[in-house]
Amino acid sequence: MGIARMNKVYILGHQSDKDRILSVLQQAGLLEINDLSQEDGENQEWAALVEKDRETEAVQKLDSLLSEVNFNLDFLNSYHPQKKGLLDDLFMEKKALSVAEVKEYVPKWAEISRNVNTALKRIDEELLVLRNERTRLQNQKQQLLPWEQLSVPLELLRSTKTVLVEAGTVPAGAVEEMKNELSEIDVSCHLEVANTERGEAYIVIAYHHGEAESVQNALRKAGFARQDFSRLTGTPKDNLLRLDKELARAGKKQEELLAEIEELVQYRKDLQFYSDYLATEKDRKEVVENLGRTAYTFILEGWVRQADAEKLKNKLAAVSDSIEIVIREPLPGENYPVQLENKSFFAPFEFVTKLYGAPHPEGIDPTAALTPFFIVLFGLCLTDAGYGVLLMVLSALGLAKVKGESMRNLFKILFFGGLATVVAGWLVGGWFGYQILGAPLAFDALMDPIRFLIVSLALGLIHIFWGLAVKFIHLVRAGKYFDAFADVVLWCVFIIGLLLLLLPAAATIGKYLAIIGAAGLVLTQGRAQPGIVRKIFSGIASLYDISGYLSDLLSYSRLLALGLATGVVALTINTMAELLSGSPIGYPFMVLLLIGGHLLNLAINALGSFIHTSRLQYIEFYNRFYEGGGKFFQPFGYKTRHLEVVPENGKNEQ
Amino acid sequence: MEFGLGLVLAIIGAALAVLLAGIGSAVAVSAVGQSALGVLSEDPDKFGSLLILQALPGTQGIYGLLVGFLILLRTGLLGGSPADLTLAQGWGFFFAALPIALGGLVSALYQGKVAISGVYLVAKRAEESGKAIILTAMVETYAILALLMSVLILLSINV
Repeated sequence: MGIARMNKVYILGHQSDKDRILSVLQQAGLLEINDLSQEDGENQEWAALVEKDRETEAVQKLDSLLSEVNFNLDFLNSYHPQKKGLLDDLFMEKKALSVAEVKEYVPKWAEISRNVNTALKRIDEELLVLRNERTRLQNQKQQLLPWEQLSVPLELLRSTKTVLVEAGTVPAGAVEEMKNELSEIDVSCHLEVANTERGEAYIVIAYHHGEAESVQNALRKAGFARQDFSRLTGTPKDNLLRLDKELARAGKKQEELLAEIEELVQYRKDLQFYSDYLATEKDRKEVVENLGRTAYTFILEGWVRQADAEKLKNKLAAVSDSIEIVIREPLPGENYPVQLENKSFFAPFEFVTKLYGAPHPEGIDPTAALTPFFIVLFGLCLTDAGYGVLLMVLSALGLAKVKGESMRNLFKILFFGGLATVVAGWLVGGWFGYQILGAPLAFDALMDPIRFLIVSLALGLIHIFWGLAVKFIHLVRAGKYFDAFADVVLWCVFIIGLLLLLLPAAATIGKYLAIIGAAGLVLTQGRAQPGIVRKIFSGIASLYDISGYLSDLLSYSRLLALGLATGVVALTINTMAELLSGSPIGYPFMVLLLIGGHLLNLAINALGSFIHTSRLQYIEFYNRFYEGGGKFFQPFGYKTRHLEVVPENGKNEQ
Repeated sequence: MEFGLGLVLAIIGAALAVLLAGIGSAVAVSAVGQSALGVLSEDPDKFGSLLILQALPGTQGIYGLLVGFLILLRTGLLGGSPADLTLAQGWGFFFAALPIALGGLVSALYQGKVAISGVYLVAKRAEESGKAIILTAMVETYAILALLMSVLILLSINV
């Protein structure tokens, strides 16, 4: 329970054994390897003897291979997307292979990867060429289309010694004027309008070269834009037919290439496994940078869970004789990485703890302490028994389908949250906004919100006291009895005294308790300060913290608002649905509205409940005892996405 | 059927609650959506956490609807037999709507800004999306308090 005790491990060995030892460590996944070059000065005696180790070449080689495989995977995915839905990722099962099997498959994967790479490179290039070709053909086609009606072969549009022939466009409006002007210049000039389209006239003009200057002037004035057909032969129609044929051929070629890509999709799985394998190898070569080396030896430092230390030692001893393993307890004040350990019921709620961050290694794991209140507060935020049942069913379905650890934990939390919601809804709410089972067992929150508010604040008070209790237990366990008395008991006396003041019957006792508590706080809260005056002043100043308790307490009023919100929105959906129920056409819409509306309401309010329940833990509850600043334990191991490496017997040890 | 001035005030209140809180949510959700789409263009896998961030400032609109609906329910407008409200009752319903109308409007806009920063956080460090969501939800507290006060006022008006 709580935060796992860690031991520090030093491993000294021969360079020739290094890779095998790292393989064993990676397979075991028990040791977090520290970066020796970032050491805190503890090892300075021998720090001068070792230098930073690295395997740059191997890393680079693996890196380029890995990026090649990933590029090819991306290429395949861009043509044939793998995912069908948002949820497919959650349901993805990893393929289980043993280390020996992986070794056996690697040459096959490497070969497939090489072949796929060669093929895709060629296909990619050909596709690029084809794309350019198609663009070129399309442009030509666009240029020729308006000339389709011109029945003259294009090679005849070329100038001779005495006659200049030009083809081009002028704005349609300028044609008449230009014609007139030309007839004045040269009667022998011939102008043919092949087509008029979108305000442009497509003309061919033939004129004597003696009049070239004045004809060209007239053309320029009309806005003539020359078109060049010098590389084409045959009529525009023939050319268009040819272009269509070429385009069709290019299209067919492209389809063939796409079919080739589709053919390669069958290797996607192999590429994914190979990518995982390469990433694993790269991880192992990269972790070397955290080691120290001499000419023939290496040194490695890391953290292992105390419970796993013996197991790790045995595994390593089996690798080589020339290996020295030192395992020691953490020094006082030495911050070891944090691994949360909780019994199976509480374990899913580590999800909530982890969301906030790692607690201090010497501090408290809040998981078990926050679990019961998380469930209860979540239920009160939703407060609709129907939604509770729905949430339980949905999360049970999720648990049956989903394999990922953190998603499973989330579903487990939601399942228990759903259970609490059923209870809360039964007591003070309804079922999908209706009161199917008659009036709520306790009272109707909507009719008597003040009672719900009192319940919310009372729960908040218990939650806050529970936080103080957690701190008390921690301090007592650590042997800090005076701290436990001054920081927890005195506050409790003070707060209880103030609360009793509100009750007329107990006002006198309350007054005395409050005075005793306040006096005690004034005397003790400044004990860390030097000098009697400062001690007293910070003691008095600490009484202001009561405002923090007050605002924390009032924060629990959100339970009322969120609880009412779910019920009233459900009621709104029902009322709107009833409005639709009058006519036969309305019934299908009514059913749609009921299903869609309630699912949406559940989704939004379950999200809100989760977030605000978490907030009540992080702000109002943690405030009493939590000490952060830890770092989560990240053992060196496999970080695979598609493969699951299992021990030889085919079963995972853990 | 003739509406008294009291009833008119209550209706204005209901309309304002839905209208203003809805405007706030719509603007905020749209702004968050725009920056989320920018991130999605780079990394479509982050859809889940970005969707949650976008949904967060949307709740104010729902709270507004909730208060508007409760006003219609309490005044009997929804049942088709509206109560004959006095002027004082009408003003009561009108002011009951104001906390969520204005609190919802402003908190949604500002919550949207935090959510957009959250989107940037998720873009860089997807594993920290939980923190972005919690910090964004901190702003929501004040919409919830506004909702609470709206509901408490309107449930305490005797019709």
